[in-house]
Amino acid sequence: MKYQLNIFTLALALFICNVALAQDDQNTQQGYSLTDQQSAAIDYLKPGKSRFLLRGYAHSGLEMTSEETSFVGGAFNPLFVFRQSDRLLFEGELEIELEGGETHLGLEYANMSYLLSDAVTVRAGKFLLPFGTYVPNLHPAWINKFPTNPLGAGHDGILPSADIGIELRGASYLGNIKTNYSIYAVNGPQLNDGSVEAEEGGVLHYDIAPDNNKGKSFGGRIGFFPMNNSALEVGISGLYGKVGNKEGDYEDIAAFLYAFDMSYVQRLSSLRSVVDIKAQYAAANVDEAAFPEEDDPSELHSFDNSSSTWFAQLSIRPAFVSSKLVQNLELATRYSSIETPEGAPWEANQQQWEVGLNYWFDWRTLVKVSYRTVSGEAGGHSENEEGGSEDSFFIHWAIGF
Amino acid sequence: MITGLFLLALVAIATNACTTTNSLADTKSGAQLWGENCLRCHNSPSPETFSDAEWDVAVMHMQVRANLTTTEATKIADFLKTAN
Repeated sequence: MKYQLNIFTLALALFICNVALAQDDQNTQQGYSLTDQQSAAIDYLKPGKSRFLLRGYAHSGLEMTSEETSFVGGAFNPLFVFRQSDRLLFEGELEIELEGGETHLGLEYANMSYLLSDAVTVRAGKFLLPFGTYVPNLHPAWINKFPTNPLGAGHDGILPSADIGIELRGASYLGNIKTNYSIYAVNGPQLNDGSVEAEEGGVLHYDIAPDNNKGKSFGGRIGFFPMNNSALEVGISGLYGKVGNKEGDYEDIAAFLYAFDMSYVQRLSSLRSVVDIKAQYAAANVDEAAFPEEDDPSELHSFDNSSSTWFAQLSIRPAFVSSKLVQNLELATRYSSIETPEGAPWEANQQQWEVGLNYWFDWRTLVKVSYRTVSGEAGGHSENEEGGSEDSFFIHWAIGF
Repeated sequence: MITGLFLLALVAIATNACTTTNSLADTKSGAQLWGENCLRCHNSPSPETFSDAEWDVAVMHMQVRANLTTTEATKIADFLKTAN
């Protein structure tokens, strides 16, 4: 009896063990089954090769001059980026700006890029021209160290900003020296012949479509990084093309623009800071031609149609000090100058100094407090059209997203 | 003079682009390339800013805009995805 009881006890234990193991096995199977479902769900949610990202930036602020103090609406620039495949990309940016009580909507750029190889990309559409360094790289409000542009840059400047055409661009290594390059064909600048607005005769206008002649403008930029850590970049840009209206008196007038730029960004452990230096010199030379006089459009006058502008900028951010407050501060200063043709109705010779203190809330959000003084002879493309000296104070915020 | 120098340099680069190697980029880590290239224009982004899928788009965008080679872009994207 005792033996039978032991057998029974053993059988019961085996049964319980077996049931328990079976239950464990069932749980495990259910677990695996659940993981499969999760995997399926993850697979379902896993993005494909075609992907979209909404980026952009916005800014506004307070501006104080001797004439007025005003909050300004600034601008909101949504940037749409579509990655259609591993090689095909679309980027398009709008600018929505509040100015003069009206909301303006503009197309900053819209283009598609195809990565042909490791070092060659073809881009077509409307794109920021790689002319110098300010417009293609530094003008977005969350990147620009100041609330304003240097003289000569920006939408109403003497330099090109964006145009429609096709471009080859990329980067490669010459030994241990990195280089980047761009070569493009675009509609190009258009010459204002002064027939409608005599005071604008000889001015180059950019970013206009369709083209005013059959000829395309050709340009490019090459950049070199002489230091192994890529801290220093020097670049040279050029743009050449006919600018006069087809079958007009200015049909054969051409313009040649060129620019030199440099960028030096270095972490200086001795100062526990990041030092950022940017500089650019650019010139626009247009073939000499006669334009209607401003006072008497029936009379013509000519001038040496050469303009130039340059800026130099220095900023320092003590990003490696222990104080979190101090490491988010950035001190910046910028000098810029513009010279447009002597004798032209839009002649200007201005200089601008800016000093600013920025506070970074994160890597792409900041408040800028800056002081600006502009002096010299005013004209088209200049800041204070009345001329003379003008001081301004700005408090702006900018966010990149 | 300027035009001549420009064209000469452009030809040299274009020729090199056809046979390029990333000798220097090969020796650098993704973190190093991230620090060197982003900081040239703006503060280096935190890896936590985007998801892995979003970094694929953002880095490809910067590959075009900032003239990165594919090797550089791949290393930077891998670093950002690993660190986020």
